Amino acid sequence: MGNKQTIFTAQQLDAYQDCTYFTRKEILRLFYRYRDLAPQLVPLDYTSHPDVKLPYELIGSMPELKDNPFRQRIAEVFSEDGEGNMTLDDFLDMFSVLSEMAPRDLKAYYAFKIYDFNNDDFICKSDLEKTLNKLTRNELTEDEVRMVCEKVIDEADLDNDGRLSLEDFQHMIVRAPDFLSTFHIRI
Amino acid sequence: MDRNPPRRDMRRVYDHDEGNGYTADQQSLRLRRFPSQMSNQNYPQFAWGSNPADEEPSGGLPQDLRSSPLPMALKRAVRQVQEMQLPVVSERDSWKRKRTKYLRNLKDNAREFIYIFALWNKSLQKIGGNFGGGVQSYFFFLRFLVVLNFVSFSLIAAFVFIPSIVFRSVGDSGVNITVQESFLPPSTGPQDCLQYDPNPVGLGLFYNYFLDVLSGTGFLEYSYLFYGYYSNTEMDDSFSYNIPLAYLLTVVFYFIFCFICIMARMGIAARVAVATGGSTVGNYSKIVFTSWDYGCLGDRATKLKQKNIHYRLQVDLEEENIKKRKASLTLTQKVMLYSLRVLMFLITSGLIAAAGYGIFEATNFSQGRSEQEGVLGLIFEYLPSIVITTANFLVPLLCDQIALIERYSPSLTVILALLRAVVLRLVSLSVLIFTLWGQITCDGNKNHGDCLLCGYNHDLYPCWETRVGQEMYKLTLFDLLINIAMLFLVEFPRRMVVDNWSNKLAQKVGRQEFVVSSNVLELVYSQTVVWTGALFCPLLPFINTIKFVILFYTKKLTLFQNCRPALKTFRSTASTFFFLVVLLFGGGLATAVMVYSLAVIHPSYGCGPFRFFPSMWSVVPASFSNLSKTTQEFLFFIGSQAFSIPLFVLICVVMCYFVALASVYGKSVALLKKQLKQEGRDKQFLVRQIEELSRKLQIPTHAAGVRD
Repeated sequence: MGNKQTIFTAQQLDAYQDCTYFTRKEILRLFYRYRDLAPQLVPLDYTSHPDVKLPYELIGSMPELKDNPFRQRIAEVFSEDGEGNMTLDDFLDMFSVLSEMAPRDLKAYYAFKIYDFNNDDFICKSDLEKTLNKLTRNELTEDEVRMVCEKVIDEADLDNDGRLSLEDFQHMIVRAPDFLSTFHIRI
Repeated sequence: MDRNPPRRDMRRVYDHDEGNGYTADQQSLRLRRFPSQMSNQNYPQFAWGSNPADEEPSGGLPQDLRSSPLPMALKRAVRQVQEMQLPVVSERDSWKRKRTKYLRNLKDNAREFIYIFALWNKSLQKIGGNFGGGVQSYFFFLRFLVVLNFVSFSLIAAFVFIPSIVFRSVGDSGVNITVQESFLPPSTGPQDCLQYDPNPVGLGLFYNYFLDVLSGTGFLEYSYLFYGYYSNTEMDDSFSYNIPLAYLLTVVFYFIFCFICIMARMGIAARVAVATGGSTVGNYSKIVFTSWDYGCLGDRATKLKQKNIHYRLQVDLEEENIKKRKASLTLTQKVMLYSLRVLMFLITSGLIAAAGYGIFEATNFSQGRSEQEGVLGLIFEYLPSIVITTANFLVPLLCDQIALIERYSPSLTVILALLRAVVLRLVSLSVLIFTLWGQITCDGNKNHGDCLLCGYNHDLYPCWETRVGQEMYKLTLFDLLINIAMLFLVEFPRRMVVDNWSNKLAQKVGRQEFVVSSNVLELVYSQTVVWTGALFCPLLPFINTIKFVILFYTKKLTLFQNCRPALKTFRSTASTFFFLVVLLFGGGLATAVMVYSLAVIHPSYGCGPFRFFPSMWSVVPASFSNLSKTTQEFLFFIGSQAFSIPLFVLICVVMCYFVALASVYGKSVALLKKQLKQEGRDKQFLVRQIEELSRKLQIPTHAAGVRD
């Protein structure tokens, strides 16, 4: 099968195939999606490793992400600079983790990072409250929010430090069979 | 090749200390690339260190790279390092690596190829994005049934249908009926039993044709649709093809094939259910962390999903309150509640029994009035189907009202309602079949007047298999017609009323919800009917395929046009398993019917491929003698005790091994869970000890980095 595309070198495509869960065709398709966000910024030739970053506003306007209440956190977690501005590498990484073939541990790791709003490697009460408010569009009363946060920490906190570490989170994810199918964006 | 930059990058990242030696973006980079020192012990949990079979000194296979939580640049660097070490790796290892890569490419290509052929993928995606996983699982189930029916139809077509057509067109020249004399019916003239005169083809009045299509009589009765048309021809000239044997074996194989498909699908669902341990703890954390569907598309769907989650949390909080209230009930209140529940249970059983009795009466009435003509005749023909459908609609409604009195917790109420609906459907179908059986075999009494001559009631049923096939055909058709009628007569009007009439009552009733459970039970019921009727109406799987395809499009239409997403969600994983289990029960019922018809009831003398055989199964021993000597001896050996008993013992041993293995895995999972908890507590303890010690010795801990 001939290599008709001139965007990436064969080695680059091979590297992408090894580092993500996508096939050649899917990687090219994702590249075109990335480029469609800003055709004037993204060159058609990646063989020289250009340093192109798309700002968060463009990423957040993708149809798959624009209604997701966690889109800002997703972009921040996967971007190199932590602000949501993504290179093509970050873009591919993000969709690879969110694809249906990524294993549960990998998804759990990134889900933990997404829900950890203050980036301190623990999901504390304030993180939980922010998550809940995003989930229910601020419609729960203060009391209800407080009760649910207490219950969550009760259930999931194994080492009794009042906040969830990555182990607690992963331990809880193992018991939730729906996680693999909900933490999944089809692109 | 620039060896240095990757190494430098990696070293810079691995090097970290607590101080403020980093600028802001380097800090965030560092945070992204590595968990902080506090939670450093998280690494052992990843699978990428724990695959001993694949571990190579050169650093592991590409699989591990994909599932490592490093950013892309780091992954590429690691990969480059791996590749640079390639010349050091032995021939065998590099060949292994190339082989895994090749296999992976092959798997990817195969997956993409199959994806093209999978039906309706785009629609399913759209449904899942807008209505969630529960509704999507219904459509997945429907697609599975369509494919199953189509494949089974192609089986039947290949082995029974097409040869029959060929033989009929070739004519009588190849007919060679080999039948033993003793199979002919006893003395008082086989003439009466052989009489079978299906209604002559109508004079072409469209009205008659239409009625015939709906009831499977008239020109349809003596056609390929039903059992009665197939003849017991066997070609004996150049090649031998035994139609009766083919018919029997195809039907048996069809059942086995469906059974295997369902078990395979159940295995996938069961694995997930078992792995999670089925624990009900962790409800709130599950809702908070795993309920958001990242694949949700559209503003409207997102808002609805958020309302959904809000509702679920409220329901759970309310369940808590209910539990607290229940725990505070006095003894007399408890006794009253339990006696009320027993009473309600008796009432629901009574309702189901009443429905069964109604079906019994309707079937008897309908069979007794089978000579009626015209529309009234049509209604009488369809009476059993009408009664079954009405019962399946009314009884669950009543049970819902009863459930309000019982006051179980919400989740238990849903499960109970499902169970009751399942029992109702299976009972109604069994009663119908039982009634038919009673009439055909004179209640099993071979010496009763009507059945004395031929072994079955040849007055009422000159060709009883076709009759049973007709009943199943009518049930299937009626189901489809009712669905389409409901769509146009109930669902569209309801939506138009709710949308355009701002009356309070209309708004309270609201748009209808797509209730997944009752729809899935309907599918299970239709499939059970098809299985029951497959022996008597070989083209029924084909009709069912078309019916399910029509159903897919109509349900999709009603979903998008008329329904609002359900507030109450549906745990798709557990319920897929439940529905497959119910499907198996239906299959069990159909298998019982098939086995009974094959082995016990005498086939009709006047029609079908099994006339002149004492039972349908006896065609197998009869054609057994045509096989070669060695095959016969081999089959005898397999059937004898010398073979089957050791085989049985071997199977028991293998099963014991698997049970033991499963229990060992379960125990080690429990042990590991305990260890995790223990480790967390140990860490807490040590941290506290350090704090105490440092307080005692009055050494400030955070200065450790500065003192160097």
